[in-house]
Amino acid sequence: MMERRFPRNLGSLEPMAQFVADYVGSRGFDPEHSFTVDLLIEELFTNQLRHGKGGGPEVSLRLGGEREELVLTLRDFDVESFDPTSAPEPPPDASAGGHGLRLVRGISDSIRYEYRERSAIITITKRFPR
Amino acid sequence: MFEILVQQDGLVKLSGRLDAAQADRAKAALDAVKGSATLDLTDLDYVSSAGLGVLVQTYKRLHDSGHGFKLTNMKPRIRSVFVYAGLDKVLRLD
Repeated sequence: MMERRFPRNLGSLEPMAQFVADYVGSRGFDPEHSFTVDLLIEELFTNQLRHGKGGGPEVSLRLGGEREELVLTLRDFDVESFDPTSAPEPPPDASAGGHGLRLVRGISDSIRYEYRERSAIITITKRFPR
Repeated sequence: MFEILVQQDGLVKLSGRLDAAQADRAKAALDAVKGSATLDLTDLDYVSSAGLGVLVQTYKRLHDSGHGFKLTNMKPRIRSVFVYAGLDKVLRLD
């Protein structure tokens, strides 16, 4: 398991991608899978920036799981609740965003949202059969 | 790192990582395209929904004014993002 905190802004996207690549490599997964995990994290993170009102200076990103399963957990501190699992999807030709939720739902094997102690916690499981 | 090169003939080359941090820059460059466009994605390594949104906006703007908009040479993983988002039914993917 690896966990790291990142500033709560878009400048964290590239460092997060590097964090993912390091973790995927350490687990012996195909490096191509970094792309998928990176995408899931960006969609969740930018969704939180857009809809999660408030928020502290940092978010926490944890990567773990066993065997062919990768579990990622994004925790957004001191924020109002926004549940991405219950948000409606826009039509496919929408130009003003909304594709992210469709991507996350299409790619993930499971998504769980929790809200406790003023933290929004999103956990995604993705299987990468070897 | 993300780069976008708009040529006079309507060919646009995108490379690197088109994420939410780069979407505004991509939008500003694509807004300069006033006629039919072909986007060469040979060297595009990553795209997220923010990037897709910019491409769909550009497609709609050009389409509404009677111009063509085509995406070419995308890597399989880039294509899969378009497909998961349902955009293979909206945009022309060559």
